[in-house]
Amino acid sequence: MTGEHARGAGDESLSRQVLESTRGRRVKHRPRFGAMSTSLLDSLLTDHLDHGYAEAAARKAERAAGDEPPGAARRTGWVLAVGLLLVGFLLAAAARSTAQQAPDSERARQALVRDVESGTVASDALQRRAESLRTQLVRERNAVLAASVTGDQVSRQLRELERAAALVPVTGPGIAVVFGDASPREQLDPATGEPQSVPPEDSGRLRDVDLQSVVNALWAASAEAVAINGKRLAPTTTIRAAGEAILVDLFPVSSPYTIEAIGAPDTLLPRFADSAASRRYQSQAGVFGIRFEVRRSGDLSLPAATGTDLRYAQPLRPSSGATTPPGSGTGSGRPSTGSPGPITPSGGTGSPGTGGGS
Amino acid sequence: MIAAVALVVGVLLGLVLEPTVPIWLQPYLPIAVVAALDAVFGGVRARLDGIFDSRVFVVSFVSNVLVAALIVFLGDKLGVGGQLSTGVVVVLGVRIFGNAAAIRRHLLRA
Repeated sequence: MTGEHARGAGDESLSRQVLESTRGRRVKHRPRFGAMSTSLLDSLLTDHLDHGYAEAAARKAERAAGDEPPGAARRTGWVLAVGLLLVGFLLAAAARSTAQQAPDSERARQALVRDVESGTVASDALQRRAESLRTQLVRERNAVLAASVTGDQVSRQLRELERAAALVPVTGPGIAVVFGDASPREQLDPATGEPQSVPPEDSGRLRDVDLQSVVNALWAASAEAVAINGKRLAPTTTIRAAGEAILVDLFPVSSPYTIEAIGAPDTLLPRFADSAASRRYQSQAGVFGIRFEVRRSGDLSLPAATGTDLRYAQPLRPSSGATTPPGSGTGSGRPSTGSPGPITPSGGTGSPGTGGGS
Repeated sequence: MIAAVALVVGVLLGLVLEPTVPIWLQPYLPIAVVAALDAVFGGVRARLDGIFDSRVFVVSFVSNVLVAALIVFLGDKLGVGGQLSTGVVVVLGVRIFGNAAAIRRHLLRA
């Protein structure tokens, strides 16, 4: 174009001639260009090819008569190569980016699921290892303590304390209390027929306080070991609510709750039945429909409590030798668990028929 | 020949170098791809029409990509990015289909 203008700059008539010829060519290649009134959609639907090609072809045809600079074909080849390189690069980059991006959330979820699964497996393995180490420790300790007279005494004392601290599994006769939520009552809205939400205090759901009072009544009725749904209660075990769930030492338990208590059945059962808590829930069982059953059980077997951490005790430095002296070693390991909590039964050492360590 | 080699090399470069597209550039990538496809189909058709010009091809490719990205960018700033993207895709898509139809007529005479 510039060439044409430069040529026609001197002569006005020539310039007009050139302009007209260009317009004529344009009309030939783009039939709709002249009719500006034609709708935009029309041009969109018919003009697909870039107009640059037609113009370039026209220029080329014009120049074909004149002198073409040598090497132009080679140069355009390189230009084309660079352009196609860019096209290929763009397409590949887009493909990669799409492939990377699309399943991102899915991948993140999968990774989280894998993390949870591997964490569960690891925690299970650690739990098993802790169990086996604990039994091994008990065996070794008993072997060492059995060697001397004082050791024997210490060993007996230790067993009493461990039983009080719920650190050993126990078996024996006792009672079992089955304590359950009332079945959810459907209160239908009279207008819509939709189920209505029942206020929590009317719903017949048991709360942490209910479990606490039953367990405390059992301790007060001289139970020696108590477990809720198979979770042994240590002196420091908490029973508390977290939202809707009830946690026994951070482990969630759910209704119906089976509270097993080991103790002399002849005293435990009547004393518990006579307690305020028992009477209260007996009457509420009729009113709210909660489940409250007490029965004798000849042979209960409760596991050891877990999660008893030593808070003040520190392992003894093996300075006096490779093997730990029996007396001092066990003595230093027990101070925190040796002090029973407030709900530990006073009759922990009595009742000859119970508490045999397994 | 050199063009085909360049295309293959470009694809290989894109796959081998594993370019990480910056996060702020990602919304423009689909539009850029559509614009590039438009330029490619236009080039092929021009080639079949016998009026291909490599300079026009390269310039139209680069400018198509840039303009499409610019439109989407402006649309994002104005809060109508989605609609403008749709518009760009529709216009370029129509052109791609038209050029593809012309190529088909050339090659298959149908």
